[in-house]
Amino acid sequence: MKKKKVLVVEDDSNLRQALVEFLETDNFSVVSATDGENAITLTKDNMPDIVLLDIILPKKDGFDVIRELKSDEKTKDIPIVLLTNLGSLSDIEKALELGATTYLVKGDYQLKEVVDKIKEILFYQK
Amino acid sequence: MKKRWFVNDFNIKKQAEELGVSVWQAPSLLFLAMGVVSVIVMLVIYFISKNHTSPEYLVLAEVFVVTTIFVAGNTIITSLERLAQINKMKSEFVAIVSHQLKNPLTGINWDIELLISKYKDGLTQKQLDVIKKINNSNILMTRLVNDLLDVARIDQGNLFVSKEKFDIKEVIKKIIVKNDLLAKQMNIKIELDIPEDIPQIVGDEKRLEVAIDNLFSNAVKYNKEGGLVSIEIKKEKKHLEFCIKDTGIGIPDNEQDQIFEKFYRSEKAIRKETGGTGLGLYIAKNIIEECGGKIWFKSYEGEGTEFCFTLPLA
Repeated sequence: MKKKKVLVVEDDSNLRQALVEFLETDNFSVVSATDGENAITLTKDNMPDIVLLDIILPKKDGFDVIRELKSDEKTKDIPIVLLTNLGSLSDIEKALELGATTYLVKGDYQLKEVVDKIKEILFYQK
Repeated sequence: MKKRWFVNDFNIKKQAEELGVSVWQAPSLLFLAMGVVSVIVMLVIYFISKNHTSPEYLVLAEVFVVTTIFVAGNTIITSLERLAQINKMKSEFVAIVSHQLKNPLTGINWDIELLISKYKDGLTQKQLDVIKKINNSNILMTRLVNDLLDVARIDQGNLFVSKEKFDIKEVIKKIIVKNDLLAKQMNIKIELDIPEDIPQIVGDEKRLEVAIDNLFSNAVKYNKEGGLVSIEIKKEKKHLEFCIKDTGIGIPDNEQDQIFEKFYRSEKAIRKETGGTGLGLYIAKNIIEECGGKIWFKSYEGEGTEFCFTLPLA
């Protein structure tokens, strides 16, 4: 079965590395971005199966990225999992309204649990 | 323990403290003052008009009343603007702390997870033990940061709870394992009275784990050597009822209506264990209520406490 492709968008290098390494050892193909603009470009160029997106990012923030991806015919169906340490009701409501599939507060989840959530979304989809 | 201040029934001192102004600027006091001034001036006008008919006194009195209202009103508006500004700063503070503090803490957590699950080869048991201890400290730190952020969000009405179906039995198992070391240290026996098949409930699994862990760990922490903690779950028509009972130090009668307050810690609790933020019950109550449940307790000093709460069925 073809490897599933994940785009990891995270500007903190420690967190990004940990996510990328864990995903790769779990047989995912991984691409990563460190800012909002790059996230949008990479999504359009690589068409990942799923996007892990932080909210606080340089250049464009997570909300802008969701808006952009959801308004483009090509990318609007790619599931977006918001992975962030902001956890207020207002942030979460905003993200879900914009079209994020789900919202995970980084600090509450182990890497394994994040990957389990990704698998749940990918394998319930098709 | 804070002594209660009763300035009068309008709780003026408390209001002034909360707004960060002096007692003379507290809105309640200002309204009272405005009311008193108006009444006095009207009485004065009445008595004056009985003996004089010149309008000058009337105008003077009017001017006096209007001035009082403007001054009082302006002070109140200033207090409100200040309060709005403080609220805005609080939201920004929460957002900044969330990101700045939680990211490095998450980093440590995930790197330890990588180390223990994927890069364990070649590590001795001693090294693994040390890593586990680092992990425990990190978990405590993360928990404290989360508690403080939860409290800030509860204050702003911004607490997020998801509504998903899940199995509460798994959560209870996790919590018992988490508190196992502490229970063993104090030789506490744990009894479970849980029906075989429990239907799923609806709520936020992660947050409820925090809430129930707060209740359970309290039951262990504030217990007697060799005491007992029992968990009972009852199936009702539309909800599950949970009761966590302990044979601990109990909560004195005169402290019982403050126990759910932010930062409140019973004198006896402080004497038993100095660590503890006083946030556990405040947060637990808010989480349970946000998930659609209710929480209450019974406690007898020196004998024990029983906390019960309900959660809606899926």
